[in-house]
Amino acid sequence: MIKKLIATAALATALVLPAAASPDIGKEAPNFTARTADGKTVDLKSLRGKIVVLEWTNHECPYVRMHYGANNMQATQKDATAQGIVWLQIISSPPGKQGFLEGPAAIKVNAERNAVPTNVLLDPDGKVGSLYGAQTTPHMYVIDEKGTLVYKGGIDSIPSYRADSLPKAVNYVRETLTALVSNKPVPNPSTRAYGCTIHYGS
Amino acid sequence: MKLSHHATATLLTAILFCAAFSAQAADIAKTEHVTARLVTDARSVEAGATITVGIHKLIKPKWHTYWQNSGDAGTATAIAWTLSQGASAGEILWPAPKRLMIGPVANYGYEDEVTLLTRIKLPDTLPAGEAFPIRAVVDWLVCEEICIPEQVTLELSLPVVAKGFSTGISIRAIESARMKLPVENAWPFTASVKNSKIELTAASSDISRDKIANAHFFASDWGVIKHAANQPMSAEDGKLLLTLEPYESKVPQTLRGVLVLDEKSGGKTVQQAYAVEAPLTGTLTSQNNFAMQEIGFATALLFALLGGIILNLMPCVFPVLSIKVLALVNHTRVSRHRRHLHGIAYTLGVLAFFGVIAGIVLVFKAGGTEFGWGFQFQSPLFVLLLAYLMFAVGLSQSGLISFGNSMSRFGAFGSNEGYAMSFLMGGLAAIVATPCTAPFMGTALGFAVSQPAPILLAIFFALGFGLALPYLLLCYWPSLLRYLPRPGPWMERLKQLLAFPMYATAIWLVWVLAQQAGANAVAAALCGMLLIAFGAWLLASSGKNWRALTYSFSLASIAAALALGVYFVKDATAPEQTVRANARYEAFTPTRLEELRAQGRPVFINLTAAWCITCLVNERVALERANVISAFEAANIAYLKGDWTHRDPAITQMLARFGRNGVPLYVYYPAGASAQPVVLPQILTPEIVLREIVQSKTARVEN
Repeated sequence: MIKKLIATAALATALVLPAAASPDIGKEAPNFTARTADGKTVDLKSLRGKIVVLEWTNHECPYVRMHYGANNMQATQKDATAQGIVWLQIISSPPGKQGFLEGPAAIKVNAERNAVPTNVLLDPDGKVGSLYGAQTTPHMYVIDEKGTLVYKGGIDSIPSYRADSLPKAVNYVRETLTALVSNKPVPNPSTRAYGCTIHYGS
Repeated sequence: MKLSHHATATLLTAILFCAAFSAQAADIAKTEHVTARLVTDARSVEAGATITVGIHKLIKPKWHTYWQNSGDAGTATAIAWTLSQGASAGEILWPAPKRLMIGPVANYGYEDEVTLLTRIKLPDTLPAGEAFPIRAVVDWLVCEEICIPEQVTLELSLPVVAKGFSTGISIRAIESARMKLPVENAWPFTASVKNSKIELTAASSDISRDKIANAHFFASDWGVIKHAANQPMSAEDGKLLLTLEPYESKVPQTLRGVLVLDEKSGGKTVQQAYAVEAPLTGTLTSQNNFAMQEIGFATALLFALLGGIILNLMPCVFPVLSIKVLALVNHTRVSRHRRHLHGIAYTLGVLAFFGVIAGIVLVFKAGGTEFGWGFQFQSPLFVLLLAYLMFAVGLSQSGLISFGNSMSRFGAFGSNEGYAMSFLMGGLAAIVATPCTAPFMGTALGFAVSQPAPILLAIFFALGFGLALPYLLLCYWPSLLRYLPRPGPWMERLKQLLAFPMYATAIWLVWVLAQQAGANAVAAALCGMLLIAFGAWLLASSGKNWRALTYSFSLASIAAALALGVYFVKDATAPEQTVRANARYEAFTPTRLEELRAQGRPVFINLTAAWCITCLVNERVALERANVISAFEAANIAYLKGDWTHRDPAITQMLARFGRNGVPLYVYYPAGASAQPVVLPQILTPEIVLREIVQSKTARVEN
């Protein structure tokens, strides 16, 4: 019986898919270097001392379109960047899949929808996405000044692609940033990410 | 005229055709990816009836819509019903879903074709001859590589007929969906957390190892398991075990979902779904140091042994042990062989008691009831008998009772019967140990009860062996006794002194009894003790001539004591079943805990029992200290207290969630609905409690 249990446990451990691993809250956020839409590179480590928001996006996904269509995402970005918070959009769609954009196109899309992230990171090989276990668009992460991951999950509390959910929903990113700025504990550090599947290139 | 007649007919036909067409267009709608149709199993309806309706979706190949838990991405289909007043629609009855893997992302949904059934209850008054309209606005997200939100409105109208005249109809879309609905209460399911995994077990004679081709569990709620993780299966005849990967470091109290089995039957594979709803026992390893630890068998054995050794120092056991040690000091000249045998007899006595306890736990575990450490104290009769026993031992220490010549003292070493006494003393030490919980013990026992019988027994015996070990060592190495003072008159004095802890224990047990069985039981217990004392006095004072008579009288008075106690205690009900809320704490219930946590308040939970000495001591020395009280107030901590003096399944389950099966248990939930609970040690000081509160707070601020 014990032998069997041990064997089962070993099998279970061996078979677990490593791909979906997502970093732990309260631990150091995994470091990455990525190309930006305006042709530079960003090293996460160089942003120490600032609060960083990561927003996985796919401009054609209905959930993303809803949040931009209702000006929800832009308003959250505006309030964050106004306080000196760094907001990075990340596009992990590979070429040929929905949401993939080259740098200039990504900048243009943001201009058209009045989005104001600090920058857009291009991640067509899905390296950063896999590192963070990003699964959906939107999928949000917040990193504090010390480089610790303090939030991961959805943009808000109601998984919906319909704008009528917005007035009732708690915007978790806003909530997290307010808590961080006023030096209070993050009320909901890990929530449900919802949206369209990110189709990683193989 | 003829022409005009013809024209009228054509017009009429056209109108009829259009009407028919528009009626059909209302119960069917086509989007780019889905053809949806509103179907029902009723041809006509009557007042008060319940009918089944379904939204049948024909989905474009390779595209999918979602189940109630959509998995890592996506959103479940939603139906908004518009019905006439008095009618109501139930929840969607979801057929078993399919897991759709897209790279590392797993979604739960349907491909090709699905019917979502709903039961509609018609109003109790509905005039025959009218129509009953049904309107559904259906929202779904349909995805392949990209996702499209779609919405359709479907309508149909059913003729209302007089009671007893409604007719049904068999619709393939509804029948096939019914076949795919999970079967409720088919098998007994159990779920527990082991080695950081959730183990889901189904037990049924229907399960045969060779027939199961595949099995997969779908959790009803998001955030319970990792949707993309493999689910290793081990099947044997009569039992199926699936190992699930928990989503995060916390698990729900109940595991809900659907188990889908692919069974080989006559050359083909048949799919069958079973609804799963099982209490989830055990807890996960937490990154938090103070929190619950998951341990292995070896560690549990070691913990049990250590816990047993520490038990010797607890106030429950120490007096009993002292009696034995005193006897040993008094008999240093007894042959080695005999000493060893006494040590072994005592050890066997302890082990026998632990064997009995383990046996009871196993029997009740098999019967599905969970018992924890100290459960026997939940019986007022046991408490009463133990109070009598303590009182009798006290009388003996005081020198009032002598049980005949050969067993003149509890610590007797004189003759062979002395071995029986040593055995009984071992049992007594074990019995009086139960209201105490020593450090390490809780973890070990919590582990034990979740294990199969041999492991459980091994851990209980390790605990018993630990308890017996110090005395056993003294028996084998009496040289250790050299550190004790030389035998002398002080020993008799000490023996008499040790009677007082025994009386104190008896008083405490009567106090426990008062809470369990009320004032009458207390009076009965005290009268019983009076009778025991009287009987003992009779025995002690009996002269040779009247021996037979006094023996009978004393036995009669002891029997009367027992009868009296049993009579009053047996059917007594507790005067106060629940913890009375006061300004400082409220009664613990799982619902209240959820409420408080949802409000974002920090919560401190104290699971205790009147018979648990460790619990009472902790309350006095730590939890009721002024600085702890004010710290609780300052941090706005809600204090919930659960009383396990009587059996309470809600508390037993809460204990199990933290891998325990006995009180005390102290858990601190820091503020925030998703904060990790912290388990405090079983022996508290004000510093430990304060440190925990402050640490949780600062740890979170540092985040």
